[in-house]
Amino acid sequence: MKPVKIAMMSLTHGHTRKYYQTLLENAKLDWVASCAEDQRAKETYELYQTGVPCYLSEDEMFERHPDIEAVVLASANDKHMAQVQECARRGVHVLSMKIPSFDMAEYDAMIAAVDKAGIVCQIELEMHYNPVVHRLKKLIAEGAVGKIVSVQATNITLSPVWAFPWQGVPEASYGRRVPLKAGDARCRGGALCDHPHIFDLIRHLTGADFDFVYSSVAPNLRPELQVEDMLLVNGKLKDGTAFLFDPSWSRMEERLKVPGPGWEVFPKRMEVNVTVVGEKGTLVSDCFGPNVYHNGAPSDRYTVQYTYFDEWVGMIDEFAGCIREGKEPLINLRWHRPTIAAMNACYDSVASGGPCTVK
Amino acid sequence: MDVEGMNAALRRLCDKYGVAVDGRLVADAEQVAGVRLETAGSAVPLLPWRVERRFAELKKIIDSRTLEHVSTLRFAVMRSGARLEHLVYREFDLCEWMAGSPIRKTFASVAGDKVANVIVTFANGMSASVECSAALPEGAAEIDRHEIIARRGVACDRVVDTQVPQASIYAVTAEGTKTYTDTDAELFGFSDAEIWTVRAAFAVLKTPALAAEWKKAACGVKEKVAQTLACAETCVPAVFPEDIHV
Repeated sequence: MKPVKIAMMSLTHGHTRKYYQTLLENAKLDWVASCAEDQRAKETYELYQTGVPCYLSEDEMFERHPDIEAVVLASANDKHMAQVQECARRGVHVLSMKIPSFDMAEYDAMIAAVDKAGIVCQIELEMHYNPVVHRLKKLIAEGAVGKIVSVQATNITLSPVWAFPWQGVPEASYGRRVPLKAGDARCRGGALCDHPHIFDLIRHLTGADFDFVYSSVAPNLRPELQVEDMLLVNGKLKDGTAFLFDPSWSRMEERLKVPGPGWEVFPKRMEVNVTVVGEKGTLVSDCFGPNVYHNGAPSDRYTVQYTYFDEWVGMIDEFAGCIREGKEPLINLRWHRPTIAAMNACYDSVASGGPCTVK
Repeated sequence: MDVEGMNAALRRLCDKYGVAVDGRLVADAEQVAGVRLETAGSAVPLLPWRVERRFAELKKIIDSRTLEHVSTLRFAVMRSGARLEHLVYREFDLCEWMAGSPIRKTFASVAGDKVANVIVTFANGMSASVECSAALPEGAAEIDRHEIIARRGVACDRVVDTQVPQASIYAVTAEGTKTYTDTDAELFGFSDAEIWTVRAAFAVLKTPALAAEWKKAACGVKEKVAQTLACAETCVPAVFPEDIHV
């Protein structure tokens, strides 16, 4: 297979650095250029010494590298619409971060632009390439626990806002400033926006879409944030499956500007645990465990050293394969739309104080 | 082991990452890994534990100085149906690799042909305890633990307050509880032993210099295991010269 000429754009998303090794090592790809959102993002990028040239202008990057076939849009949520449209105009395939947009009209405009250009647009929901999730899907498909009746899941992390400030800015994260509810100074755009994975996974595991959700925010652990950091969600799917999710930023962090050792205060900075209750049994799973552990430098705190962390390898494989073989990615814009709608319904529920039907 | 399937997976990895497929796995019961890598030049003993992710992470924790001034390694493995010398071999090689220093002296307390408790002294002054048991009943899952104790920090492949390996998935049904721990999406479906063996072979093909390094290590460790177990019968320590690797 001819390697796909690929570039990265913006470099401001929290997942940016996770692509570097994969883009450099995978023979299906030829990583030719990067384009940083600003000088700070460029300087952070340069710390990793990838050897791939980095520009501060998209136009300059595309002019100097007219052979770019695909890009990873590693940008804030409010940049996605314009970037997807520009890539569609150029006929460049797109790997978008996990929230294309919370504005459903904008979301539909992206679908239209991608369809018209005939490009591949894959959404970065890397859990699908996690081997534990792979096993979960297999066990469920084989009927290990029978028909699913309930799913409980956590998608809890530290807050990345100190390293990636846009994630704490309502306009950049949610797309506009929308108060959480009457009398609450906080706005939409926090932890929920960072954690779509379990909303997506439950649809895959059950084959059903959301019926209604109920959501409640708690007092922030970080009172200075403009956005929510603690919330809970429950509800039902259209097939009757009950669920309860925790998509919070419930693990505290050191306020590092660049993620690195010592970032976490709680030993495990990121957890996706999924419990599936079926008519014939129960599956209890930890998608990021077990690991190895230490209490050494720099903070002498007990720390999980993530040991099996290669979701990006499989995701990029699929992206390159879809480009060369003209296939639709598993997580495409259309598939992902009901997940975004469910997350919006969570915010509506917070605002109303009652359950909300997912439209 | 599904050697044919492992060779197919090895070829797939080589193709994906642009590495020449200059070798194939061949079953070999004398090897601790259960196979050897046949290359154009020679046969290469594989040390799969050196590419196993948890050991690679522990090594990284040492080498990156997350731990400072390592003093003692506490390693243990219990398995069913294994040869005792194979268990000691893996732990000794892990010891030397993690310590970054050759084993200079050992004293083993052995029970029959199933259990060995060894105290190890390295050339750099560090110590290790190595507990090996092949006495688990047939069908029991392996239990092991690797702890590294330093002046600054302790690292371990087992989480605090647990004695046995944890799993990623527990499936609880009327038939009982089954566990699953999948760690490699590219080699999904293979057993752990198969995965790390394929990864080890891939590492050698990708970095050919590893072949000589592993041959040297394997030769030295094999001799040290044999002498350690033999000396246990006479209740004297085994002492190894500096050039035992040569």
